[in-house]
Amino acid sequence: MAETKVCEKKRKSLSSAKAAAVESKKKARKFERKARREEKKQRRVHRPGPRLSSSFRKEIGIQSPRDNAESNDDFDDEEERVRGDVFEYEEQVAEEETKKNRRFDPVDNYEYELPDDFEDEDVPSDDEERHLNMLHGITGMPLQAFEGGEKKKVIFSSVQRDVSDGKISIQDLLDPLHGKPGYSDLRKRIDQLEKKPMAVQPPLPKVEREKLERKVAYKHSSKDITKWEPLVKRNREAPTLYFDKDVNLGFSTVGAIASVFEPRTEFEKKMASLTRDPEVMEAHLKDGAKLLELNKLTVEDVKDRQGRLAKMRSLLFRHEMKSKHIKKIKSKTYHRILKKERLKAAVSNVEMDLEAAKEEAKKQEYKRAEERMTLKHKNSSKWAKRILKRGLDVQDEGTRAAISEQLNQHALLTRKMNSMKDSSSSDDDSDDDNDETDSEDVSKLLNKAKEKIVKVLEEKDEITETGVMALPFMQRGLKKKKEAADEEARCALEEYDLSLRQLDDNEEGNVTLKKTSGRKVFGTPGKQAQETNNQNKSDRGNSDSEDDFDNAEHVQSGFEADNVSQELQIQPDSLHDDPRQKSVFKTFDDIVKDPGPKTTFEVAIFASDSWRKMKTEDVVNVNKKKQATAKQALLPDPTPEEEVMYQNSNSDTDEETVEGDFSFNPVPEYELPSQADLVHRAFATDDVEAQFEKDKLDVLNEENPEPEKPVLLPGWGQWTNVQKKNGVPSWMLEEHEMAKKKREEALKKRKDANLRHVIISEKTDKKAEKLLAKSLPFPFTSKEVYEQSIRMPIGPEFNPAISVRALNRPEVIKTAGVIIEPIKFEEVDPNENPDEPKRIIQNKNSSSSKNKRKSSKSKKSSGSKVSKN
Amino acid sequence: MKVKVISRSTDDFTRERSQDLHKVFRNYDPNLRTQEKAIEYTRALNAAKLEKIFARPLIGAMDGHIDAISCMAKNPNHLKGIFSGSMDGDIRLWDMATRRTTCRFNGHQGPVRGLTVSTDGNVLVSCGNDCSVKLWKVPSTFESSDTVEDDEPLANYVWKYAFRAVDHQWESNIFATGGAQVDIWDHNRSNPVNIFEWGTATIVSLRFNPGEPNVLATSASDRSITLYDLRMSSPARKVIMKTKTNAICWNPMEPMNFTAANEDCNCYSYDARKLDEAKCVHQDHVSAVMDIDYSPTGREFVTGSYDRTVRIFRYNGGHSREIYHTKRMQRVFCVKYSCDGTYVISGSDDTNLRLWKANASEQLGVLLPRERKKQEYLDAVKNRYKHLPDVKRIVRHRHLPKPIYKAAGLRRTMVEAERRKDERRRAHSAPGSTSVQPFRKRRIIQEIE
Repeated sequence: MAETKVCEKKRKSLSSAKAAAVESKKKARKFERKARREEKKQRRVHRPGPRLSSSFRKEIGIQSPRDNAESNDDFDDEEERVRGDVFEYEEQVAEEETKKNRRFDPVDNYEYELPDDFEDEDVPSDDEERHLNMLHGITGMPLQAFEGGEKKKVIFSSVQRDVSDGKISIQDLLDPLHGKPGYSDLRKRIDQLEKKPMAVQPPLPKVEREKLERKVAYKHSSKDITKWEPLVKRNREAPTLYFDKDVNLGFSTVGAIASVFEPRTEFEKKMASLTRDPEVMEAHLKDGAKLLELNKLTVEDVKDRQGRLAKMRSLLFRHEMKSKHIKKIKSKTYHRILKKERLKAAVSNVEMDLEAAKEEAKKQEYKRAEERMTLKHKNSSKWAKRILKRGLDVQDEGTRAAISEQLNQHALLTRKMNSMKDSSSSDDDSDDDNDETDSEDVSKLLNKAKEKIVKVLEEKDEITETGVMALPFMQRGLKKKKEAADEEARCALEEYDLSLRQLDDNEEGNVTLKKTSGRKVFGTPGKQAQETNNQNKSDRGNSDSEDDFDNAEHVQSGFEADNVSQELQIQPDSLHDDPRQKSVFKTFDDIVKDPGPKTTFEVAIFASDSWRKMKTEDVVNVNKKKQATAKQALLPDPTPEEEVMYQNSNSDTDEETVEGDFSFNPVPEYELPSQADLVHRAFATDDVEAQFEKDKLDVLNEENPEPEKPVLLPGWGQWTNVQKKNGVPSWMLEEHEMAKKKREEALKKRKDANLRHVIISEKTDKKAEKLLAKSLPFPFTSKEVYEQSIRMPIGPEFNPAISVRALNRPEVIKTAGVIIEPIKFEEVDPNENPDEPKRIIQNKNSSSSKNKRKSSKSKKSSGSKVSKN
Repeated sequence: MKVKVISRSTDDFTRERSQDLHKVFRNYDPNLRTQEKAIEYTRALNAAKLEKIFARPLIGAMDGHIDAISCMAKNPNHLKGIFSGSMDGDIRLWDMATRRTTCRFNGHQGPVRGLTVSTDGNVLVSCGNDCSVKLWKVPSTFESSDTVEDDEPLANYVWKYAFRAVDHQWESNIFATGGAQVDIWDHNRSNPVNIFEWGTATIVSLRFNPGEPNVLATSASDRSITLYDLRMSSPARKVIMKTKTNAICWNPMEPMNFTAANEDCNCYSYDARKLDEAKCVHQDHVSAVMDIDYSPTGREFVTGSYDRTVRIFRYNGGHSREIYHTKRMQRVFCVKYSCDGTYVISGSDDTNLRLWKANASEQLGVLLPRERKKQEYLDAVKNRYKHLPDVKRIVRHRHLPKPIYKAAGLRRTMVEAERRKDERRRAHSAPGSTSVQPFRKRRIIQEIE
């Protein structure tokens, strides 16, 4: 710390000295001396610098008046100023100072203070110089002669010592230069040099040194290379890299194109002469004022324009006034007349030209659309609702008329809509409408159906015999179809006839049936209804086993045993009707189920309609449809004999039994069965578990088929009975065993081998396998991503032309013949779009490089010539 | 009654010229074409098959040398020219378009071991076993039909050792030679301007980094790969592998990466900043890889091997994309990718240079825009479905010469055996006592600072 302080001070002093060096060297020195005196105090303890022996000192003549008399470390100012802190390394403590063995006299006062008026002898003062000059002027001898003899001697001696001793300090060399120009500079530099710590270490071994060098070199070069990283990353991630030649595309802006435009045609030339009028150009270039001057108009022009404008304005004003006036007129007749006139004009216009007609049509259309949009004609508007709420009777004539008009409109529109719809739906509507139908209607309907069928039968095939239909096989097919349809129609016709006849019979039988309906007295009416419902259900598909199940289920879950018996008792009612009617319905149902050609389908609709009506009409008719056999299988309770008996007995006896049954078994209370019970009952017939096991076995057998059993080969050794004697050859048996084992292994390996209730299919579809990647391709991280990546097609058939190019662009696009140069460094813009294709332009400065090459070539050639010469 | 008819403007459906194409209007509603995936898959399959059909990679052989070709150099400024040096000291300049010698440079006494051309394409540098480096002037024109003989090199510098490799720095006057040591030369000085010595091994190959021209990589006979930095005028790092590296090449588009062609049939791609492991190991050759050269696009490189094949790898692909072989091609000593990335040139023991297409089935010459579009589409489709088994099988399938096929099988069994042994050893040693080294590190012994 102390040292640095000193240095700083010294530097300060030095700098100040330098500033004033030219004029007042002496003053500066005085300053320095002062400073140094202060320093000395600190330096006493720790003083750097060479420690010259006293003898050497004497010899080189650095002497001070106190040198001999007093202690050795008291330098005179001059000397110290010169030497300064030249050396900073520490020598050993001088012998004198060690106080070893008290060989030297102790010095009491180390801190010797120079007197204030002290002046160095050696320093050539200004006075001395003047004195010398004076001497020189007087004697005419050279200056050196008058200088102090002692000093001269010192110089010589020092030079001599140089050679002999070889131990000289920089100080010694500096001394003689003292006072010469540039001395202070030199001294300063040396001072600076020596201020730094000169810790010189022994050099490392070469191996170590080189290793360090390499380390540094590698570090630097790898750091330098890292700058390429963003660029390389960008290029790698770019969807497409273009290696393009730098093509001059010419002008890029409109301005550039316009700047070189040359007028060619006459018109262009004319325009150019106007626009490129030097006067105009000049005006443009200079300022706007001149341009305004050029824009001057004549007085007449302005007047004319003003006049025109005024006229227009006045016309406009008058028109406005007029229209206002007309608007103010309250007379209705006037307006009516006006309107009529306008209409007339419009009509005449329409007649006059097509455009107007079109316009008119558009208007009408618009009106209609508006009406449709607003639903004005429905009673859904606020106004209409309010009126209806208050009641139409309260309203006055006009309102009522308006409402009725609206309703009319609505009716009209709905009628229109209905007429647009197809006939079948309208039929349905009409069916819905007339709920009350009787047997007459039924017969009517049947008649209708009959008529239709007859029509169909009579109809000749008017199929066009052209095109595909003209082909012989098509015709044949059509004929066949037609025949089948005809056959069916004929059957239907017969059935209609029968049913018609039956209906007539029923007219009479109805009386008796009404008697039977008296049965309702015994049972509850609700139950009766349910029953009929139930029977309907069973009827609908009496031939199908499925429906039988359905029926059974219904019976078992919905009703109790008594109910069932009741049903049974009702059943016989149906038996007394003739099977023909039954067949009619059956056929109808069948037709409904599988609609054949169109004609039969229509018939079916008719038939089904009629059937529905009959069903709703009377229970008896419905009951007639009952099929006993279906019931028999499903009802567990009654014994077959009973059933047979029931079936054979007539309706009257049935009734009796019904009565009897009901009287014997009063209806017990209905209990809700538990859910499990229900399920169990529902699936009572099918054994699910067994079914599943069977299914699983099937799957296993399908996927790992059981090996075929070895059989005797037909014909081989048969007639000699060799085969019979020896049995199946052993290798076959072995093979069979092997195959069996293999199969068992395979079964054990299955995923569902230990899962009893699961079937995991391991069937591989070989055709589909082709279309599946075996493992997830490398850059993709999940199956979904991969699938997503190939989801959209990329072909030109599936994508518009604009995007096809981008979709199909390869990773690298290069042109054959374009030399691709190695990468050139450029800063990567962090904001640029990474999904955009990147262009790397080659031969950016191709022209310049060519030129360079040329020049170098010429140089080279000249060089070679020279060498040859 | 209004009858709706299709009305189209005739302008849209008439052609101005008879050559014009009919404009097709399409409805791109995906519901109309539900089979697009199936269609494209079939197209990919067909494209893969067509590619196989049209694969005709060999364009021609350049015959003329009377000894094995030891080295080649491409002219960075002239696409057609390629230089080749042979073991008898003959250096030739070939015109690839006409496939004939346009110039011969006579002067070397022994085998020529290294050739390189300055970036401006005017000076050819050759070096050989006769301890001399020769600078030649490259003839600028190819007009004359007969071969020019050049007996007078621009300069001839004789040095202390036999040279093995030479390479030119990008866009400067400096080139480097390798032999007993690495010397940096200036065109105009008879003595090297700089000398690098690290170890005593002979330099086998040497390449400047084209992107970062002051970085240099060499491989030496002591199985090492060494990096140098000219700015620091010092070697930088050395990595020692288990086998010798025969050739080295920097990726011209990725200045940090280089690939080393190794004696152990593999190529190793390194990042110059992380030499303790290879970035990628490219394997497929069945014998030592002799030479390697990167495509100027930096996406592919070509290797020539002692197993008489030339292979093309992707820069990040573990296996080769393509293999080229002919019945008469012997050991391949040098390969080059052409400066436009379209051709591959191989020089082999049978004294011939062979010119190949870089893409075996590519159609050369001018393509009409429609043809190009079609090709691009087929490539894209093929690329999309390349993972599906059928397409993959067809694309990958190559007919190999029997010895190579057998050698590959043998190699596979050997590798497998080694792997199995390693596995067993690991299974029978105490857990944690053995470490599994990744394949990328396995062949690296040490990285020396």
